[in-house]
Amino acid sequence: MYKVIQVAWREFVVTVMSKAFLIGLLLLPLIGIVTAWAMPRLFADGGFEASGTLALVDPDGRVVEALRPKLAPETIRARREAETARALEQMPSNARALVGPETIRRIAPRIDLALVERPRDADLDAEKARLYSGPQEERPLALVVVHEDAVEPADGTLEFGSYDLFVRPRLDNRIENEIRRVMREAIIDARLSAHGYEPATLQALFNVPRIDAVAVRPGEESGGTGVLTMLLPMAFGALLFIGVMTGGQALLTSTVEEKSSRVIEVLLSAVSPMQLMAGKLLGQMAVSLVGLGLYIAMGLVFLAGAALLGLLDLSLIFYLAIFFVITYLVLGSLMMAIGSAVNEMREAQTMMTPIVLLLVMPWMLWMPISRAPDSTFSVVLSFVPPINSFAMLFRMASTSPPPAWQVWLTIAIGFASALGALWFTAKVFRIGLLMHGKPPTFMTLVRWARQA
Amino acid sequence: MTGPTPAFADAAIMLDGVNKGFGAQKAVDDFNLVVPRGALFGFIGPNGAGKTTTIRMIMSILFPDSGRVSVLGHASALDAKDRIGYLPEERGVYRKMRVGEFLTYIARLKGIRSAGLAKRVRRGLERVRLQGVERKRCEELSKGMLQKVQFVAAILHEPDLLILDEPFSGLDPVSMRQLEALVLEEHERGATVLFSTHVMHQAEELCEHVVMIHRGRKVLDDAITTIQRRYDPRTIRFEPLDPNADVRALEALPIVERIERADPGYSIRIAEGTPPGDAIRGIVDVLAPARVELARPRLEDIFIDIVAGSGSPHAEPRETEAATAAA
Repeated sequence: MYKVIQVAWREFVVTVMSKAFLIGLLLLPLIGIVTAWAMPRLFADGGFEASGTLALVDPDGRVVEALRPKLAPETIRARREAETARALEQMPSNARALVGPETIRRIAPRIDLALVERPRDADLDAEKARLYSGPQEERPLALVVVHEDAVEPADGTLEFGSYDLFVRPRLDNRIENEIRRVMREAIIDARLSAHGYEPATLQALFNVPRIDAVAVRPGEESGGTGVLTMLLPMAFGALLFIGVMTGGQALLTSTVEEKSSRVIEVLLSAVSPMQLMAGKLLGQMAVSLVGLGLYIAMGLVFLAGAALLGLLDLSLIFYLAIFFVITYLVLGSLMMAIGSAVNEMREAQTMMTPIVLLLVMPWMLWMPISRAPDSTFSVVLSFVPPINSFAMLFRMASTSPPPAWQVWLTIAIGFASALGALWFTAKVFRIGLLMHGKPPTFMTLVRWARQA
Repeated sequence: MTGPTPAFADAAIMLDGVNKGFGAQKAVDDFNLVVPRGALFGFIGPNGAGKTTTIRMIMSILFPDSGRVSVLGHASALDAKDRIGYLPEERGVYRKMRVGEFLTYIARLKGIRSAGLAKRVRRGLERVRLQGVERKRCEELSKGMLQKVQFVAAILHEPDLLILDEPFSGLDPVSMRQLEALVLEEHERGATVLFSTHVMHQAEELCEHVVMIHRGRKVLDDAITTIQRRYDPRTIRFEPLDPNADVRALEALPIVERIERADPGYSIRIAEGTPPGDAIRGIVDVLAPARVELARPRLEDIFIDIVAGSGSPHAEPRETEAATAAA
């Protein structure tokens, strides 16, 4: 055991002290923070500003009356503030603090429309021609022709008219949308007034503000969890993926390096292949656990800061550790087997494809499992190695956790599959370490395992 | 752990009817070997003869298809790894690792605990005149320096058995002498030494005993002195009393095949089938000698005789096959 520990310790120290590990470890949280802070600023519609005139022909005259106050600068300002407040309300509190109202204000499009009333009997063709002819600065952005029955239908029916919208060539669709929005509001206001209703009163009557749900537990009430509830299974799946991929990739790389640098025979003169394999597996497992521990700690701090700690069943962390060990032993050891069989990293890439597919597959299944954790599909996947760990974690972190017997059955199947993978790796490892020459195929590895 | 095998207990290494094949090719064929404790054995043979395969079987890196192996009284070297020092033919290091860390790591894998280890590493490097390189990365050293570092790694734990596979290849003459001296020091310390080489004069100079493998079979296994006595008594070193004497008179003798100048004196090849005593008597009857003696054959001549006499050697089995057959 002393020698196994020596090998494991070297693997751990060399990996943890490497720049690649430190950068990789810090990179993920850094990407998260940068994404949350900078992406809205960089990629949203921030900075879109447009101004111009809106020509309006209103035979009735009541729509233009309703429209005029809606295009007044103070009304536009008030509406933007209200929209900013609504956008912030819909965010989790931590994201709200990170993004801030100023960002929302900045990323919202600023479109200022000046109303130009055209005579009721204006020549429509001439008005349309103004959209594309004459000095650029005098051309209106759009021409709106309100139907005569837009406010009051003819013959006392309920079939209201609408309006026609003519725009400049290649007008930005955000301006079109803004015109549609204000015209809709103005026509509704005109219709309400025509029927003797006060539009402001009716708007107040229809307005029910969005409220956050409060999760209630014994002795505790916590804030709304909507999006986070959905993201939690994904977060656990991501942790599992990162842990296994980090450890497995390091096992692959270090084994190929030891083999190609020919140090392997020196090592084999001091330790048995089994001791070497066990040491390497343990060392890289410890490395992955350090990374996972750090990420979990950061996640807990985030949840505690957002007063959302109650959202998380802390026993999930225990199960995450178990499922990590299982998946790492299965996929990590297979990656090490590949490392022992090939001569260089380039050859390993081809053989790694099935392993990577096995790691990526759960991400395609995340949504169906999270949305229907008790479906037959989800339950069956929970027992199919090596993706059973992912499937079970998705289910456990969902809103409908599985019964305990299913969890322990998944763990038992997982450990059985880990033993199988270790058996296979041990056989391939022993033979592959001294192999040089033509790179083997997967079938060759299977043949070795049967021969050894 | 496997206990000592009683019949093999007295030998440092014992191979009994060992066979190893790679696919259809036989790399080691019914090989028997006994290396007594404390011996200094040379393991010679042409390229691809099966030396490395045999050594790997001794080290339990490969396993024989049949036959028995005993190392330091154990049925497997795995049970005695900490008492064996091994310098493989394919030498490697962790290129980014510092020399001191590399030696410390290997020493720990050989079971040495931390106390006094740093001092032992320093002393080991001093022995190969590489003091002060502990902090250097392995990749910063020359090939010859690395070879010395690897030799230190093999002897750091003061092994009872030292197995060296082509330890002198690629070294300059000065480094070669240093390493030869260290091999002898280890032997004097009490270690059993087995080293493979195809540089015959080294085996001749260093070894007490030589084993030669050819096409996977043992073709020679004797003490150097015995070999020299037994092989090729057909060359006589002759120095005439009169340095200006005309040796052409000797060429006329039917017992003489040819005469070559070999300062000082001459090397006389006698006809096949002529008893050496008769040949010496015949020569001194013609010319008075200052010195006449039966020349000791060189190991290299014996080696070439054996190899040339049995056709071209086997091709070296590829490691791919070697590894496959290890299963």
